[in-house]
Amino acid sequence: MVYATVCGVDLWEFVTDRWPRLAAEAYQHASVVIQCTIIAAIIGIGVGIAVYRSPLGSTIATALASTILTIPSFALLGLLIPFVGLGVAPTVTALVLYALLPIVRNTIVGLGGVDAAVTDAARGIGMNRVRVLTLVELRLAWPAILAGMRVSTQMLMGIAAIAAYAKGPGLGTEIFSGLNRAGAANATNQALAGTIGIVLMALVIDGLYLVIARLTTSRGIRA
Amino acid sequence: MTATDAVLTMESGSRRAELLRLFLQPIAAVVLVGGVLLWAFSQDLDAIEVVSLNANTLLNSTWEHVLITAAVTVLVVVVAIPLGIVLTRRWARKIAPIFIGIATIGQAAPAIGVVVLYFLWTEQEGLWAAAIPLAFVSLLPVLRNTMVGIQQIDPALVDAGRGIGMSSLTVLRRVELPLAVPLILAGLRTSLVLAVGTATLALFVNGGGLGFIIDSGYKVARTTVLLTGAALAVGLALLVDWLGALAERYLGPKGLR
Amino acid sequence: MPEQQTSVGIELDGVTKRYTGQREPAVDSFTMTINPGETTIFVGPSGCGKTTTMRMINRLIEPSAGRITIGGDDALSLNPDDLRRRIGYAIQQAGLFPHLTVAQNVAVVPGLLKWDKKRINARVEEMLSLVGLEPSEFLHRFPRQLSGGQQQRVGVARALAADPPVLLMDEPFGAVDPITRGNLQDELMRLQSELRKTIVFVTHDFGEAVKLGDRIAVLGDRSRILQYDTPEAILANPADDTVAGFVGAGASLKQLTLLRVRDIELGQTVTATEDESPATVRQRIEADGRKFALVLDGRGRPLRWVHARQLGGDSLAGTGAPVGDLVSSQSTLQDALEAILTEGGDAVVTGTRGEYIGTVQLDTVVGKIRELREEHQS
Repeated sequence: MVYATVCGVDLWEFVTDRWPRLAAEAYQHASVVIQCTIIAAIIGIGVGIAVYRSPLGSTIATALASTILTIPSFALLGLLIPFVGLGVAPTVTALVLYALLPIVRNTIVGLGGVDAAVTDAARGIGMNRVRVLTLVELRLAWPAILAGMRVSTQMLMGIAAIAAYAKGPGLGTEIFSGLNRAGAANATNQALAGTIGIVLMALVIDGLYLVIARLTTSRGIRA
Repeated sequence: MTATDAVLTMESGSRRAELLRLFLQPIAAVVLVGGVLLWAFSQDLDAIEVVSLNANTLLNSTWEHVLITAAVTVLVVVVAIPLGIVLTRRWARKIAPIFIGIATIGQAAPAIGVVVLYFLWTEQEGLWAAAIPLAFVSLLPVLRNTMVGIQQIDPALVDAGRGIGMSSLTVLRRVELPLAVPLILAGLRTSLVLAVGTATLALFVNGGGLGFIIDSGYKVARTTVLLTGAALAVGLALLVDWLGALAERYLGPKGLR
Repeated sequence: MPEQQTSVGIELDGVTKRYTGQREPAVDSFTMTINPGETTIFVGPSGCGKTTTMRMINRLIEPSAGRITIGGDDALSLNPDDLRRRIGYAIQQAGLFPHLTVAQNVAVVPGLLKWDKKRINARVEEMLSLVGLEPSEFLHRFPRQLSGGQQQRVGVARALAADPPVLLMDEPFGAVDPITRGNLQDELMRLQSELRKTIVFVTHDFGEAVKLGDRIAVLGDRSRILQYDTPEAILANPADDTVAGFVGAGASLKQLTLLRVRDIELGQTVTATEDESPATVRQRIEADGRKFALVLDGRGRPLRWVHARQLGGDSLAGTGAPVGDLVSSQSTLQDALEAILTEGGDAVVTGTRGEYIGTVQLDTVVGKIRELREEHQS
């Protein structure tokens, strides 16, 4: 207990000392994760919309996205470096690829789960396909899609840490720094700051998702 | 588990997609690995490359990788399944959220961070120095699925079991667990994939594995080595996931399929 | 051959169940003697505690106070798991284990009692035949491949597998459609006439209680026994207004379920076989002053009703409408009445091999109702 408290105090001093750098890294970390989630959402929802009415298309899209998920992130990074170099490029590519499955899967399931009677009614009163999609189907599928985005973001928070290996942005830098300088004065603190920082941000952003879900989901379909 | 549960699973959620993957994934793995190996060895390899790109080193690293994955999986199974069973008992209902909370933090934490912290804290290296922190990170899917698998069993079945004279241990053994197996296997598959993926990080604590080849290629700036290591890791991951899918499909009780 | 266990009676003495945090007990000092070899029905509105009381007999719920004796043994001093292996238990959703085959399900309790394999296998086949399921067809099926009625039969087979002297049944036929329910009830009565177990049966359907029970306990709040007597007695003299309300206004109609077709006079109709010429049959119909004839097959089993008007052709084959609902001499008058209403005419009565033995006419049934009503009022 004493040891932990001493470490805690030590850590606190470290964090407050290095605050500007840590804050910048935290911001970059969150920023790249969120932006990649949004890019993946645009691509993923687009793919979902394109294929959800075709069994073959859905199957292929889902199979592909779920297969990507089984690829080790470190290996994917390694595969990308020769082709896109270091820094932001491999980070963003890898993160977007990983974020795809939860979003594609949930978009397809969400859109497919809309009661056929509802879409039928919408067509029946004169909405064209686009309106039915945007005004009815997407809004009803939104909770599922948002949940998919939430899972993706959680996943990305952890994966982005590895991106620091390829000189990517974020708190992963602190973790690798702590590893490389093992034995040095603040090595453990760096690793701790990086890890705990990521966990805290993940929890906060998860909470934000819950708030967004509450605000953007129509009251009629709130679970 | 509905689409709105924020849970990470390896499942695509579509039975047809799973069937497609069941056929194509092993083929893809073999094609990828075969293709990259062919390509790599067809080049003129310089002295530096040969250090990593020889049959011996590659096989060794692959084997190490398999061992790490196995170690992580064994740890996860031995800890998460019994813990999951215990936490579904009536008397454990109050403390269950604590353990789930810990495991959730484990999954939210970056794997690399946990591995580095464990290393800095214990100053250990090698296979177990990697396996233990990785097991902590891969726990949640199996723990949660074991619990959900047992909790979603129709209470009427437990009642019928006790009513005809099974002891509560017998009900657990012959009714609850078999019926929870499909979900447990699904969680195991997720954990397996997480394990084989994060095992690439073992290199950072001298645990070997295919991540070591990737890192070597990166450090000496040799694309052949980098790509070979990465391709092997991807191929292995695809294979392990495929085995997990097979287990999910064929190891469950026949009456539930 | 199953060992013939002598039937056992059940004594409940001051049995009470209190749940913490509730002012009133769920079951308040329940005292009753259940006779061996009888079907005793606990009937009452939802929430009266009848299921709770039954589940205290096999200690799925532990009584807060009181004594329970089964066949002279104090149930509360035995190991609960052992006790339950000697009591059959059948519930509404059947509770079949979905991951086990039908055979494995039925074999559970004998397995727990460590019977040897050959004996278990023989017993499983015997039980399936007993409940009307062809063993070779059903042994290796899984519950999800069975209909609701079939699942319930397997549930009963499982409950009886170890030949327990006591059988507890909690609304076992509640989850199936009315026609299947009727069939299952008939099956249970047939089984009971062969096996004579001590059955405690919980239901909220008074009609079912009258049909199945040797003795009925009408229960009120906290399982207070409002009346405990034979069905005839309760129908004839409800103890108080609550019981009367529960029995319902149609008491005399319900008494129709107590009478069997064999208790009344059967009518007869003109019959014909397929090879007879339509003209001959028409003559017979007109001679009898009727409009219809019943076509039988070579074994005397009813096939179709033909109207005199349909007898203009050369052959009887293909004429007329098929017989819908049939009753046997075992069927209750209520079943006969339903058959009459379904057919729109006389109901056909068949014997043990399905052969025609007579008809039930609406007049006869109505006359019986009138008789019962007059008895009731006296």
